[in-house]
Amino acid sequence: MKLRPILGYTAAGATILAAMLTPFLLMGYFANGVAALPLHVDEVYSGGPKARTVQMGAYSIAIHRPVYPHYLQSEKPFVQLDWTPVSAMPEHVSDVVDIDGDGRPDIRVSFDVPRDPKAPLRVDVEPLNPRYLPMRNVGKEKFSRLIVRVDNAILVRVPLAN
Amino acid sequence: MATNAQSPRLARPEPRGIGWSLLLTLPIAVWSLLMLFRPGMDTNPKSRIAAALTALFMTALFFMMMRTGNTYRWRRIFFVSVGVLFPVGFIYNIVSMRGTMGIPVEEMIAGRTPFCFMPIPLLILPAALTRTLVFPGSIVPGGGASGAGMAAMVGMWLAMTLVLGKGWCSYACFFGGIEEGVAAIPNRARIHKIDPRWRYGPWAVLLAMVLLSLALFEPAYCMWLCPFKAVSEYIAARNLIGLIQNAIFVLLFAGLVIVLPFLTKKRTQCSFFCPFGAFQSIFNKISAFEVKIDKERCKPCLACQNACPNLSLSQESIARGETLMSCMKCGACVDTCPRQAVVWHIKGTEIAWKPERARLMFLYGAWAIAVMFGGTIIYGGVATILHFIA
Repeated sequence: MKLRPILGYTAAGATILAAMLTPFLLMGYFANGVAALPLHVDEVYSGGPKARTVQMGAYSIAIHRPVYPHYLQSEKPFVQLDWTPVSAMPEHVSDVVDIDGDGRPDIRVSFDVPRDPKAPLRVDVEPLNPRYLPMRNVGKEKFSRLIVRVDNAILVRVPLAN
Repeated sequence: MATNAQSPRLARPEPRGIGWSLLLTLPIAVWSLLMLFRPGMDTNPKSRIAAALTALFMTALFFMMMRTGNTYRWRRIFFVSVGVLFPVGFIYNIVSMRGTMGIPVEEMIAGRTPFCFMPIPLLILPAALTRTLVFPGSIVPGGGASGAGMAAMVGMWLAMTLVLGKGWCSYACFFGGIEEGVAAIPNRARIHKIDPRWRYGPWAVLLAMVLLSLALFEPAYCMWLCPFKAVSEYIAARNLIGLIQNAIFVLLFAGLVIVLPFLTKKRTQCSFFCPFGAFQSIFNKISAFEVKIDKERCKPCLACQNACPNLSLSQESIARGETLMSCMKCGACVDTCPRQAVVWHIKGTEIAWKPERARLMFLYGAWAIAVMFGGTIIYGGVATILHFIA
């Protein structure tokens, strides 16, 4: 028998073996391999890594690093702030936040905290530093200017001036 | 074309005996029970009934393939079932979780957007160049909408692609069955002549979407063109752009998945448009199995070309004795050929040398994957229906 048919049948047999091993071994093996790659979800979606946390009595504000969109992305640069936990927050929040940690206030953020987790949220942002853009009665217009509730946190994204 | 040196095999082979067919089906019966009653599956009585029905269904279809020697007809029943039942189970789960088919922005930010295989080719360039995944999901195990994360879906796709190659589009895709079902509605084709240049459509869409995804840093196909958003989940429209996106999804679904398959009797979305199908064609090159044409036997009647649901045969390719690289191994051409000149083939062997052995080897691998993946989808759809009616 020639080599090529032997190789062909070997590959065909290996294919059946691969099918049998797929649910028990191969899927997990490949999935772990992909998960181990040095990849991260685009920060326009994830909000970027947390830079520091500010304690505000019963609740805290996590301040993320600014996110700068890539190439032709239609979003503006923004910074994400997470208020958490929602259960410890008052019915109305109006906080002055020092985003860049220089000891001077950068923005004032005001929003209501409805007890119904599905109730729509609206936020006002008054910039105290020209680096940040104002927001007036904003819901969830774009990834770079929004307020949303995710699990037990309220996330606000404030657009940066160019 | 080539003259016929051998005696023609005009008649279909005799059906296998029931006993021999049952024996060949036994491994698949065991595999079906193993896959559908595996640890971790729901154990409530309705789910058990759904699992038993699915195992019986998958085993019965394989038995009929063995008994009749026909692949396409029985595979199509499976594939259409997956296409119809996937939205049933998926939409029920999505609506149960979040109350709507629309993906709210909160879920995107939380990395809980369900990840299907369609965006895989769109993620490669941004990931390679910037280590960034341009999809609002989660890569970590335990993340994502199903707790599986993108890594699990990509891992599953890699493993299944090793087995199936482009056969993915006939044995694993949970969308293609809808249009195959519409194309199977019995009536005459109203559009007979299709310009062969449409075959390049999926490649053009793939190239455009890969480049757009890199430029815009978003899964452009999912955001703008996926027809199956209409029957799975769509972007919750927050503004005019969202409304336009959803209108495009619905129009493409109506045109490519309903109207054109009905008029042409072809899988038009797959043939003219699907970028993932084009991407998957590349993996036909590493598959051990293919469909060949025995030029000794072929009188070019073009029955195979007419039967192909995916425009994967041309007169030139028939003359060369092969299918195009977009062949998805559905078996329509093999089952249609009146001279049995179109055969299943293992690469490296002589054409038409024990084609039934090649068919069996391919089908064992493909059906094992079909049971594991498509069978689970059918099970999910049946369990959902049982939940509502019983």
